[in-house]
Amino acid sequence: RVQVRHKVVQVDPKEQEDFDRELRALLQESLESRKLEPRVKSTLNMTVPMKIVEGSKDSRATERESGEELTAEESGNAGGGSEVKVCVRVLVKKGHKQQTRQMLIPGDCSLVQSTKQQEAALLEE
Amino acid sequence: EEPPGAGTGDDGYDYGKGDFVEHACRYCGIHNPACVARCNVPSCRKWFCNSRGNTSGSHIVNHLVRAKHKEVCLHKDSPLGETILECYNCGCRNVFLLGFISAKAENVVVLLCREPCLNVNALKDMNWDLSQWTPLIDDRCFLSWLVKVPSEQEQLRARQISAQQINKVEELWKTNPDASLEDLEKPGVDDEPQPVVLKYEDAYQYQNVFAPLIKLEADYDKMMKESQSKDSVTVRWDIGLNKKRVAYFVFPKEDNELRLVPGDELRLRYSGGTSHPAWQSVGHVIKLTAQEEVALELRASQGVPVELNHGFSVDFVWKSTSFDRMQGAMKTFAVDETSVSGYIYHHLLGHEVEHQIIRNTLPRRFGAPGLPELNASQVLAVKSVLQKPVSLIQGPPGTGKTVTSAAIVYHMAKQGQGQVLVCAPSNVAVDQLAEKISSTGLKVVRLCAKSREAVSSPVEHLTLHYQVRHLDNSEKSEMHKLQQLKDEQGELSSSDEKKYKALKRATEREILQSADVICCTCVGAGDPRLSNFRFRQVLIDESTQATEPECLIPLVLGVKQVVLVGDHCQLGPVIMCKKAARAGLAQSLFERLVILGVKPFRLQVQYRMHPCLSEFPSNCFYEGTLQNGVTVNERQSSGIDFPWPVPNRPMFFYVQMGVEEISASGTSYLNRTEAANVEKIVTTFLRSGVVPSQIGVITPYEGQRAYIVNYMSRNGSLRQQLYKEIEVASVDSFQGREKDYIILSCVRSNEHQGIGFLNDPRRLNVALTRARYGIVVLGNPKVLSKQPLWNSLLTHYKEHECLVEGPLNNLKQSMVQFQKPKKIYN
Ligand SMILES: [Zn+2]
Ligand SMILES: [Zn+2]
Ligand SMILES: [Zn+2]
Repeated sequence: RVQVRHKVVQVDPKEQEDFDRELRALLQESLESRKLEPRVKSTLNMTVPMKIVEGSKDSRATERESGEELTAEESGNAGGGSEVKVCVRVLVKKGHKQQTRQMLIPGDCSLVQSTKQQEAALLEE
Repeated sequence: EEPPGAGTGDDGYDYGKGDFVEHACRYCGIHNPACVARCNVPSCRKWFCNSRGNTSGSHIVNHLVRAKHKEVCLHKDSPLGETILECYNCGCRNVFLLGFISAKAENVVVLLCREPCLNVNALKDMNWDLSQWTPLIDDRCFLSWLVKVPSEQEQLRARQISAQQINKVEELWKTNPDASLEDLEKPGVDDEPQPVVLKYEDAYQYQNVFAPLIKLEADYDKMMKESQSKDSVTVRWDIGLNKKRVAYFVFPKEDNELRLVPGDELRLRYSGGTSHPAWQSVGHVIKLTAQEEVALELRASQGVPVELNHGFSVDFVWKSTSFDRMQGAMKTFAVDETSVSGYIYHHLLGHEVEHQIIRNTLPRRFGAPGLPELNASQVLAVKSVLQKPVSLIQGPPGTGKTVTSAAIVYHMAKQGQGQVLVCAPSNVAVDQLAEKISSTGLKVVRLCAKSREAVSSPVEHLTLHYQVRHLDNSEKSEMHKLQQLKDEQGELSSSDEKKYKALKRATEREILQSADVICCTCVGAGDPRLSNFRFRQVLIDESTQATEPECLIPLVLGVKQVVLVGDHCQLGPVIMCKKAARAGLAQSLFERLVILGVKPFRLQVQYRMHPCLSEFPSNCFYEGTLQNGVTVNERQSSGIDFPWPVPNRPMFFYVQMGVEEISASGTSYLNRTEAANVEKIVTTFLRSGVVPSQIGVITPYEGQRAYIVNYMSRNGSLRQQLYKEIEVASVDSFQGREKDYIILSCVRSNEHQGIGFLNDPRRLNVALTRARYGIVVLGNPKVLSKQPLWNSLLTHYKEHECLVEGPLNNLKQSMVQFQKPKKIYN
């Protein structure tokens, strides 16, 4: 492993300010453009396809179980500290078909916190 | 390899192997699939990584913001596969609006847009946790678990791009979407090139500096060589052992810098007349005689007008191979992170790297079988080199750097880390080293350029082409049969030729693979026949005579341990283009590393010069550290009756007052008085019992070299043949060589013009350290003494009563007055 002495990266504050301004403008413009569009309430298609989720649970031999916690080392993130990762399923649409893909996300990410709390509540019952 | 006259030549080399990866970040070059994303705007489709580098936002976010692009696609090898990021519900692809939400209790997440989908009332009743919506872009960076942030290592190895450069290139892309960062740096036609520096941010900056310099040198070289056409050339014909036609003719070089070398390509033309139609063929120079006669082996075997002898023309065929390989090596160095180890990458660029030690079990003795016993400083050099990933060995004249290098290579090869690659810029040095290494018992293959296969070599039996021919002599060997047929007929049918080539290639590969050590020139390391080889350990001899890009060619084949051998106190690489030389192309990698603070390991015992001759060079160029490995007795020329002014001190400075003249070509100098006295000294040596092969006449000027050759053959008072056998050479071409007796003619003698070439201390060092037994220097002390170094040399000779004038048989100490040396010299 090579040890290169670090040079301290100094971001020019003016550059950063300029960049932030453009980023905010882009965000604002995006939001505004969407607000003007008519809302599509009826076409809401957001049910979690249980078949896909459960079906994949059976094939545990080849895949990790959703929600399984991995240590940093297991998740191939050596040197990344002792961070714990959680395996989640990302639901995507390929044309009209629904698919899931596995992905590891940090355990302390707010996205998984609520799930954990709910699971804990369930266990207590 | 190809029909005669095809453009690429037998060395046609595709240097695209480390080429641009399509999904490399267009800012910094990082191409780890997990770390990049593609801008999905149809007119753009460029890839960027998720590292911040030196800017506030990550590269992908930077691009999206600066270009006002909003759609992104992930790489097919990323965790989510080739996926365009879009809202699960409405299909909106604006990444600035997208974020993740998770399903309660199911560990399922989806991408959902912030407006309007996140605010749809109906969704609140469903099984989704809307309160934890997580934006895709957070803190000016994509979520690192969706698009990974490249490791620190990867980031350090990447191109270091600044915010200003990003803004500039984004601006450029608006009018030219295919523009590259290099286009930002391109100088105008008349601009001075960017000079070299000590440290480079990254390999891209390195390439940006050196590529234009190599281009300048290549253009100059081409222009020079192609202007060398000669008409009315008289040819005599011969036939080689391989049945090929060989044309002999005199191709006189003017007294300019151009030197024809074996392997060069020339075109022989006959423009046609009443007796014979027009004809032409290209061939390789296979031999050059001292009388400047060229032997050209022709490619064409049929239709050669052997009945004609007069009225031919000769042109130089310029080839870009060596320059192409340098450019290719720099490109590989930049884009292929496996080309050199991380440590060497940063080291070569001048970054501060923590010292690394290679933990190897050291051998018990550091010498090697078949080599002379090593002295103390040589042993230390071998020992220290084996433990370091990067080392420099400085070998002053006659200190045994070839033996030391051979010992190092022997021990490296015995470490079992794969084959060792051994290079040097010149073929002569490669041959010498190959021979020494082979004497340790290692299996050595000397790889020659195809254009040089017909050139005789002192290590013929080690060359790849020889080994291919002699690997299997049995009648059964198909290749051998075809070879014989080819030798007999000159050529094969096209199907046989195909078969022959395939067999030859396979045999070549087999021989190369079974070698312990492969030896070739630096440029030869870019030979396509080595393109699938990797070398962890590389030794480059004479590295101070190679340009940096030349040195890089053998290194980018996967080097982890490199040894550069050379002497930065002797002459550096020859650069013909003044613009490129001024910008620093003449500085070797070895020299730059020394300036950066890498301490070269110096070999300290010299075995060449009479101790009287080594005294001044040691004090002047090596801080007095050079010790003598030879005694006065071992360098006593017994039976030689030469009028040295001080007996037992075989040296003198012969005061000359004749004026310098500009030579016929207008580009060089000569000095008639000095030439006449050189002849007298040579004659005296010959009369005293010295043989021609012991004498070398050297001079800094090509004009004087040519004049002396001519003068001696016309005016020498002994047999003409004796003078023809005496080597007369330029100082520069004599580097690395030695003779028992050296006569140095300085030439320059004028009131105001200065001393040109003689100003370079490294040239003086080379000139003074070629002789083993004795040296005579001819020059004008009044002129030379203005330069501080020459002043101290003259003082040294004067103090030892060796500054003399008058006829050779009655030399008297000279009382000539020196001038005050000027402080500054250019
Ligand atoms: Zn774009
Ligand atoms: Zn990047
Ligand atoms: Zn949406």
